[in-house]
Amino acid sequence: MTTKRIGMEGSFAIAEAIKLARVEAIAAYPITPQTHIVERLAEFVANGELDAEYIPVESEHSAMSACLGTSAVGARTFTATASQGLELMHEVLYVASGLRLPIVMTVANRALSAPLSIWTDHSDAMAIRDCGWIQIFAENAQQAFDLVLCAFRIAEDLTVLLPTIVHIDGFYISHTIESVELLEQKVVDKFLPEYRHPYPLNPDKPVTMGAFGPPPIYTETKKAHEVALRDSKKVILKVWQEFGKLSGSHYAPVESYKTEDADVLLLCMGSFSETAMMSIDKMQAEGQKVGLIRLRLWRPFPTEELRQAVSKAQLLIVFDRALSLGGAPPVCSEIQAALYPLKTKPKIVSFVGSLGGREISIQGFEELINNGMNRAKRGKLDEFEIIGVRE
Amino acid sequence: MEKRDKIIEIRWHGRGGQGAVTSAELLALAAIEEGKFAQAFPSFGPERRGAPVLVFNRVSDKTPIRARVSVINPDIVVILDPGLIYITDVTAGLKEGGVIVINTTKAVVDIKSEFNGSWKLAVVNATSIARDTIGVPIVNTTMLGALVKATDIIELESLAEPLKERFGARAKGNSDACHRAYKETEIAELSGVVKKPTKTFETETFPSWQELLPGSVIPEAGNAKQYRTGDWKSESPIWDHQKCIKCGICYLFCPEGCIGQNKDGYFEANPYYCKGCGICARECWTEAIKMVEEE
Amino acid sequence: MESLAIYVPRLVTIKEYFAPGHRACMGCGEALAVRLVCKALGRNIIIANATGCMEIVSSPLPSTSWEVPWIHTLFENTAAVASGIEAGIKILTRKGKYNNKTKVVAMAGDGGTADIGFQALSGALERGHDFIYICFDNEAYMNTGIQRSSSTPFGASTTTSPAGKVSIGQTTWKKDLPAIAVAHGIPYVATACHSYPFDLMNKINKAVEVNGPSYIHILSVCPTGWRLASDLTIRAGRLAVETGIFPIYEVEGDRYTLNLDFPKLRPIEDYFKLQGRFRHLSKETISQIQERVAAKYSKLKERAARNNYQQ
Repeated sequence: MTTKRIGMEGSFAIAEAIKLARVEAIAAYPITPQTHIVERLAEFVANGELDAEYIPVESEHSAMSACLGTSAVGARTFTATASQGLELMHEVLYVASGLRLPIVMTVANRALSAPLSIWTDHSDAMAIRDCGWIQIFAENAQQAFDLVLCAFRIAEDLTVLLPTIVHIDGFYISHTIESVELLEQKVVDKFLPEYRHPYPLNPDKPVTMGAFGPPPIYTETKKAHEVALRDSKKVILKVWQEFGKLSGSHYAPVESYKTEDADVLLLCMGSFSETAMMSIDKMQAEGQKVGLIRLRLWRPFPTEELRQAVSKAQLLIVFDRALSLGGAPPVCSEIQAALYPLKTKPKIVSFVGSLGGREISIQGFEELINNGMNRAKRGKLDEFEIIGVRE
Repeated sequence: MEKRDKIIEIRWHGRGGQGAVTSAELLALAAIEEGKFAQAFPSFGPERRGAPVLVFNRVSDKTPIRARVSVINPDIVVILDPGLIYITDVTAGLKEGGVIVINTTKAVVDIKSEFNGSWKLAVVNATSIARDTIGVPIVNTTMLGALVKATDIIELESLAEPLKERFGARAKGNSDACHRAYKETEIAELSGVVKKPTKTFETETFPSWQELLPGSVIPEAGNAKQYRTGDWKSESPIWDHQKCIKCGICYLFCPEGCIGQNKDGYFEANPYYCKGCGICARECWTEAIKMVEEE
Repeated sequence: MESLAIYVPRLVTIKEYFAPGHRACMGCGEALAVRLVCKALGRNIIIANATGCMEIVSSPLPSTSWEVPWIHTLFENTAAVASGIEAGIKILTRKGKYNNKTKVVAMAGDGGTADIGFQALSGALERGHDFIYICFDNEAYMNTGIQRSSSTPFGASTTTSPAGKVSIGQTTWKKDLPAIAVAHGIPYVATACHSYPFDLMNKINKAVEVNGPSYIHILSVCPTGWRLASDLTIRAGRLAVETGIFPIYEVEGDRYTLNLDFPKLRPIEDYFKLQGRFRHLSKETISQIQERVAAKYSKLKERAARNNYQQ
């Protein structure tokens, strides 16, 4: 079903997915490291390879706002951004999900100013944690391609109707050339039916969208949104299963790597998980009982899958790539909240690192795991540590 | 009202723009000036000038006030606009032995049948007093005088400072209005069994979360037509058919779009929506439209 | 002066697209302007509405005053949302999935246009979307309680530009939005006021026919914020025009037309004295404003006359 493996930049793989999805409207604003995606899309439109409206807006705020418009009339809509751009969109994101408009977006994860940093970490993703979108993390170009395609199918499902973000690490996915297997157009067409919004803006049947919620009804609107987001997991599972049959690529909300006999688990998100796999390989070869789990699905949060994945572990080392300044690291605090009610649960060690593009090597992950095991042994579990800081 | 270590709760019924919020604020400031504890706050809604609004006070001699919630079971209700008793249950939740203070042109004997409960009723023609003393029919400060007379919740003199602060050069008129109302307020004891409220303040019904469409889309175009804004008015337009030339200027300039032609071709305002702004009367070429006070 | 000696119901559609039951203040000029605009637009439109008075009074869930498709999202992004709607219709039409020739209309107040929505407006005008942008200008942030905007006139007292012992109120001159719209080189720009309903509706009809962006700036009297009696709304709008404070004109390409011209302008006091927001102004300040109004008006008149000469 897939094409032969071809060499391609991650951004271009995403653009190929957008073309295959027959996206109808794109509104975007340039920002590093996302720009390659929309440049490629602009080229497709300019060459007539993709029949879509490309709106070259004057800001990310307007990008997401224009997406509200295109999606509300019933056009399949895509945009991409990163970092400050995502933050400029911030308030619009809540509107997109509150209005249940199934926009798909890729975020090329990047640090937040100040100081300005164009390099990757997860600060931007964590800052929009509560915006009510479905949020999925990819680890390489192939996953980015696959998950973006799946995102349309999930978002536009009539029982879901929620906007969806596929997070990719800036540069390490967006600007990296690697091998990708694409899908044929007819396969995608079968997998992804046309988008039909059930209540689009159209004079034939006038609707009001975006009425305000006075106190006697606001809570009901939010309950409906919360339930829709939670329940979207069923559709996500179904779509990924179907996609797996179609392409051979299988996805799950929480993915485990060599965890069968592991007492110690490292938990990561994003592309650096692949580097961590190599550390796990090495440590297992040396006889250490370590394994890796990755959160693929960030929202809705996969509580059951996480509990299942860590049920046999004694120690869980959580690696955050963002700070919640003055508070607990964001991923770790979610993990702790999910596991707290359980009677038996692993001890948790929390690390933060790889901020603003600082790399972590294979050996670096090995050291991190060893450091975590030492901390656990010494019972130093009460605070997190920022790793690799020059003193 | 006896001075106890008890929190007295007041609910004001007015219309947006009538100054009910100011009344409640002045009362709270005066009470605090006396060394009491007090609170004033409005119900925060989207309604505009002319729409019915609620404002709340709590006053106590000794007890600090913590409740940050609307007054459901008031000891006192103050009604700034006589028309409100026909469109909202102003005595809803009013305690046994509670006090009703109302602005009306009617005497106690003529209005007491509107209320059924063992309450104290205080009536004052605040509109007329306000016109005489302040020059405009804004009755909020006048009603403070009536409230003090009916309840002795504060001393009348305590209002002097807050009035001066609030109104500056216009304080005298407002203070005179207050004092005249204090003198002219007529009080009677009512008897009867407090009936269960027949209406609530929330006249609209709201859907459950399951009933909402995705994104809370509203598929029924123009369904706000069910909402009565005609309750807002204190004056109604009346057409003189002798003078009316059926030109339709009134129709064109109506912000509500509630003026239509009857079968004889004359224009009339739909009382369900008309807010009584008076534009039609002001703009009529032939002066065929007069604004007449609602009763 | 526009002649109103006609039988109105024969000249305008009886159909209301902005339904009664809205919660605007009594005598609201903006609600009247919206009602008239909607009558002229007809049913084949989609409206994107900015946050503001008209949004709040027309759409408390679960009710709506709108008889046409309508969307509200945020305060500052209305022109961008309208851009999206227009683009969405274009592609869906191209693909045979949309079968109406729908005009897209963006509506916002002066704050949503001149201040917070300025960038989105400029972007949408520059990109040339086929839509009408209507600014309902009531000269302050009325929805939040009469705060000054960059469209508030010089000397007006608002809650954030209050007249005080050492201040005359607003100390900046009203931002000239129609001129800024013209500077974008768009096909049609016009000013209008609800007190001249036929002129207003004609301009909307014209904008509907334009291919590309139109910008219409409607002075909308706010009795609450301007502190005047609710029945004086129409009169106040008329005086704004007759004093030259708010000239009614249109710009097609680079051709200016003064739609309502007066041989002699009324003194601005006639307009000011109706309104509480100007009550504090001294004679000196009023004559300062009068001078500026006269200069601006004659400049506009010259510009319109030049067109005629060229013709």
